[in-house]
Amino acid sequence: MDILAGLTQGFAVALEPMNLFWCFIGVFFGTVVGVLPGLGPSATVALLLPLTMQMNPTAGLIMLAGIYYGAKYGGSTTAILLNVPGESASVVTCLDGFEMARQGRAGPALGIAAISSFVAGTFGVALLMLVAPPVAEFALRFGPPEYFALMALGLSMVVLLAGRSMIKALLAMLVGLWLATIGIDLFTDGPRYTFEQIELMDGVDFVVVAIGVFAIGEVLANLSVKASGQMFPVPKGLRNLLPNWQDLKDSRFALVNGSIVGFFVGVLPGAGSTIASFVSYGLEKAVSRRRERFGTGVVEGVAAPEAANNSETGGALVPLLTLGIPGSGTTAILLAALILWGLRPGPLLIQDNPQIFWGLVASMYIGNVMLLILNLPMVPLFAQILRLPGYVLYPVILGVSIVGVYSLDQRLFDVWLVGGFGLLGFLMRRLEYPSAPLILGLVLGDLMENAVRQSLMMSNGDVSILYSRPLAATMLLFTAAILAGPLFRQVSSWRLKAMEREA
Amino acid sequence: MSFKLIDRSELVAAGLLVALGVFVAAQAWDWPYLTKDGPGPGFFPLWIGLLLAALSIALVALQARDAAAGRAPEKTDWRGTGRVLVGWLAVMAAAALLKPAGFVVSYVLLTAFLIRVVFRQRWTQAAAVSLGSAAAFWLLFVKLLKVRLPAGPWGF
Repeated sequence: MDILAGLTQGFAVALEPMNLFWCFIGVFFGTVVGVLPGLGPSATVALLLPLTMQMNPTAGLIMLAGIYYGAKYGGSTTAILLNVPGESASVVTCLDGFEMARQGRAGPALGIAAISSFVAGTFGVALLMLVAPPVAEFALRFGPPEYFALMALGLSMVVLLAGRSMIKALLAMLVGLWLATIGIDLFTDGPRYTFEQIELMDGVDFVVVAIGVFAIGEVLANLSVKASGQMFPVPKGLRNLLPNWQDLKDSRFALVNGSIVGFFVGVLPGAGSTIASFVSYGLEKAVSRRRERFGTGVVEGVAAPEAANNSETGGALVPLLTLGIPGSGTTAILLAALILWGLRPGPLLIQDNPQIFWGLVASMYIGNVMLLILNLPMVPLFAQILRLPGYVLYPVILGVSIVGVYSLDQRLFDVWLVGGFGLLGFLMRRLEYPSAPLILGLVLGDLMENAVRQSLMMSNGDVSILYSRPLAATMLLFTAAILAGPLFRQVSSWRLKAMEREA
Repeated sequence: MSFKLIDRSELVAAGLLVALGVFVAAQAWDWPYLTKDGPGPGFFPLWIGLLLAALSIALVALQARDAAAGRAPEKTDWRGTGRVLVGWLAVMAAAALLKPAGFVVSYVLLTAFLIRVVFRQRWTQAAAVSLGSAAAFWLLFVKLLKVRLPAGPWGF
C-alpha cells in the first residue's frame, strides 16, 4: 500500500465521528495531565487502559496516543507559568520559559511553545508515516531467533532508561522479567510462582502493575511533598499570546533543530522526550550567536525543547509500531494495550491492520491541530486547572485506579495487588530505582522467553541458531555494544582517576 | 567495606532483593532446566534469580566502596513518609471494605479520611469533596459506562 492510499484510508478512519470524538477526548485529557504537575502521561494512559477494553482498538489507540502527545503540549504551560515542569519532558522549558514570564512575556512564551509543538509534532508524524512502513517491511524477515535478538536489544535499552545507577535499573528490569514468569507456563502447562493462588494462574496483569507503580506510586509520592509556588497570570486575549515577528525569526532554526533532533532521539528506544529536549536545547545554545543569554528568557530556549519533545512522539512510535519494542514507560503501556486488544505488535501490525496504523497517523495530524487550538486561545482555561488542590485530585486518581483494576476481571484480588504495587512504585521512586525498566522487563519478558524456546525447538536444542543468522547476529552485536557502553565509560573514568593519582 | 556508612534503607532494599533472587532461583531449581526441545520452565527463572541476587550484592559492595571513598550519595529523604504510610494503609483499608461495604461507601470513607487526616482540611471540605466525588464516580462509571463495581448491602 503506498503512502497516499494509506493516508487516504487513515483520514477516512480518523474522520469518523466517534474516532474524532475519542481523539478530542485523548488530546484534551492529555493537555490536562500535562498541565498537572503531579500526574504524568504514563499514569493516565495506564488508568484509562481498562476503560478502552470495550472500545475498538483503533479508537482506543487514537485516544491513548492523544493523551501521550497531548501531555507534551500541556507540560509547557506549567513550566512557563509556575517554573514547575508539568511533565518530565518540559524540564528544559522552565529555564527560559519562566524567565520570559518573569519579564512579562508569558503570552509569547506560551504562544511559541504551542506553535513549536504543533510544527514539530506534525513533522514527527510525517516522518513516522514515511519511515515506519519500510522498517516494518524489512522486519517481516524475522523468525524466532531474530525476535529473540530483537527482545535482547529492547531489554538492553534499559541502559538508556537507567537513572543514576545502572545496577538499580538492571535490578528493576529483572524484577519485571520475574513478574512476567508468574502464571501457567504455556510450554509445559505447569504453574510458576503462583503461591497456589488461582488468581495468579493467568499471570500478573500488566495493567495492575502499571496502574500501581505509575498512578498509585505517583499519588503516594505526592502525599509526602507540599507543593507551593507563585503562578504568573495568563495574559488575556489571543493577540497577547501570539509571538511577534522577531520572536518567530529568532525561533526558526530552533524549530528545525528541535523537529529533527526530537524525531531521531525518539527512534532510539529508551532515550525519551526529556533527553530529546535537553539535546535540542544544548545544540541550539551551542550554535547560537547569543548563547550567553540562554537561561535569561530567550524565545529559542523555549522553541527548541518544545519542538524536540513533540517531534519525539513520532520517532518513539516507530519501534513500537514496527518492531513491537517500547522505549519508554508510556509506549510500554501502549504496547500492552495492543496485546490486550488481541493484536500482535510487530512487523505484521501495519500489514494486517492498516486501518489502525494509518488511522492513528491521520488522527495525529488532526490531534495536533486540535491541540494548537486548545493550547492557544484556551490556555487561560487550562491554567485554571493548576488551582485544583491536591486533596481533590489525588483521591480521585486513587478512585479511578481502583475502578480501573476492578473492572478488568471484577476481582478484589487485583485491588489488593494494585495497592501492593503502589507501595512498590513509591519505594522505587524514593530509593531511586527507575520504574520504566520494570515495565520493559514485564512486557518483553514473556515475548523473549517464548522466542528463545521456539528458536531452540526449531534447532532441536542447538544454541547456535540464536546467533548464527546474520540479522540476529547483527542485533546481538548491537545489544552487546549498548551494554558494554557504560562499562567502557566506567573503565575510562577509572583510568583517568588512576592517571590523576599518578600525576 | 563500610556498611555502616550506607543508607540503611538502601541496605534493607538490597537485602530484600537478594532474598527475592534466592527464592526465585530456589523455586526454579525444582523445575526442568532443559528438556529435549530446549529450555525448560526452570531455565529463565533460574538465571533471573541468580542475577537478581548477584547484582543486589554488587550494588551493596559498590555503595560500600563509594561510602568508604567519601562519595556516598545523599541519604534517602524519608520526611513525609508517615503521611505516605497513613495514605497507603487507608487505600488498603478501603480495599478491605470493598466487599462488605461496596465501592461508594469505601470511596467516601477513604476520601474523607485522606482529606481530613493526611491533607489536614476541615471536616466540611472533607465531607463535601468525598460525597461529591463519590456521586460523580457512581453516575459516570456505574450508570453511564455500566462498569460493574462492588455493591454493599444498600445496593451501591
